[in-house]
Amino acid sequence: MEKMKFEHRITLSYLIIGGAWILFSDSILYFLVPDHRLQNELQTFKGWFYVILTGLLFFLFLRKYLNKLRNTEKELNAHKNNLQMMIEEKTRDLAALNEELLSTNDELNQKNDLINIQNKDLRNALRHLKKAQSQLIQSEKMASLGTLTSGIAHEINNPLNFLMGAYNGLDNYFRKYGSKDIDGTTFLLNSMHEGIERASGIVNELGQLSKDNNKLDEVCDIHSVINNCIAVLFDQISSSVNLKKEFSSDAAMVKGNVGKLHQVFLNVLLNAIQAVEEGGEIVIETRIDYDEVVVEISDNGCGIKREFLSQITNPFFTTRTTGDATGLGLYITYSIIREHKGRLEFESTPGQGTRVTITMPNLDNSYGQEN
Amino acid sequence: MDRKTKFLYVDDESINTKLIEINFSERYEILIANSGNKGLEVLNANPDTSVVLSDMKMPLMNGLEFIRQAKCRFPDKRYYILSGFDITDEIQDALDTGLIEKYFRKPFNRREIESAIDNES
Repeated sequence: MEKMKFEHRITLSYLIIGGAWILFSDSILYFLVPDHRLQNELQTFKGWFYVILTGLLFFLFLRKYLNKLRNTEKELNAHKNNLQMMIEEKTRDLAALNEELLSTNDELNQKNDLINIQNKDLRNALRHLKKAQSQLIQSEKMASLGTLTSGIAHEINNPLNFLMGAYNGLDNYFRKYGSKDIDGTTFLLNSMHEGIERASGIVNELGQLSKDNNKLDEVCDIHSVINNCIAVLFDQISSSVNLKKEFSSDAAMVKGNVGKLHQVFLNVLLNAIQAVEEGGEIVIETRIDYDEVVVEISDNGCGIKREFLSQITNPFFTTRTTGDATGLGLYITYSIIREHKGRLEFESTPGQGTRVTITMPNLDNSYGQEN
Repeated sequence: MDRKTKFLYVDDESINTKLIEINFSERYEILIANSGNKGLEVLNANPDTSVVLSDMKMPLMNGLEFIRQAKCRFPDKRYYILSGFDITDEIQDALDTGLIEKYFRKPFNRREIESAIDNES
């Protein structure tokens, strides 16, 4: 059963005790004291007794109840203080935590900056690697081409040696013993000699082209380099393409690597040949411009789109869709020219043609400066 | 000139040795060997040989290896290489150190060889 509220309990107790007193106090008094006179005297004390008893009971009830209340309040206060302390403590903890978070945030930001820098470094490294890789591919190609051509050169030069020996022997024979048709045999012998010389010349040029060295101190005759390249590319130049050479009358000599310079002019000439159509024109002009050797190779071919012009010397850039295009040709050309302390410039109008200008330090002049 | 200069030619291909014989025998006394070892034997038997010309690429012993051995025994002779290869680092070294006087390229040029030999004798 639910416990009754204090005010109900005290009121109910008072009513019960008061009621019981009114109902039974007289009967009890008559039962205990039979004398009527004494009964009347005690009646007055009975009222006092009742007041004292109820007062005592009130006091006891109230004290018990108020004590309980006071304890509760005290406990509440203690809890309240406790709570406040806990809150303060938690607040301090949170502030510390916040500070820690802020510093972690700072650290993270710093780390982020570091990562960004490292990222940039990595990108640079990747670019360099790509460049090195393409150079490797090219040098590997050139190395295998070198091995191949030197092997072929040996195999061709040996039989050419037979022919040359036989030619010399026959020439000697006819000089010694005469010929029944001196014009005829002389023509035949000369044809043989010319054939041997030409074949030997081509083998020699191939050797120059694939020369496997990185020296930059060879004396290079630009006119002879260009002539060699034209000879090598001869079968690729359609007979209807007009190839004009306008060479300077002065020798065009530069210091560098003969093999690599062959690569430069082969690449540029090959591009010109591929750009022109039937009936097109390619002009190779050389001139000495004070301390520089200038070579201009112009064609009236398809030209290069403006947006590609700045990219054509990038490694792996190609507009050709066929599988044989590596996109390395002009990149290598550019790298070689730079090695030779020269410049490579392009001017082009789509549909009208391209002019490639290669400028390199003039050897004669640099000798003059050294002395 | 009382006697012809003695000239040893070493080459593993018999067509080459025969052709050198045909082309140069009028001017020089030609000795032939088809390997480096044979060449050393010929030199032993003919110590008065003054010019030695050797092919470069031969089995067992290449031209420069043969010349190196020959020069040890006969340092007073003049040595030359005739090769179908373009000039290599090995040949350039031999030129620089004076092991060989000159390097000729195949196909041979008769006048070039004759003038080199005659000018220095």
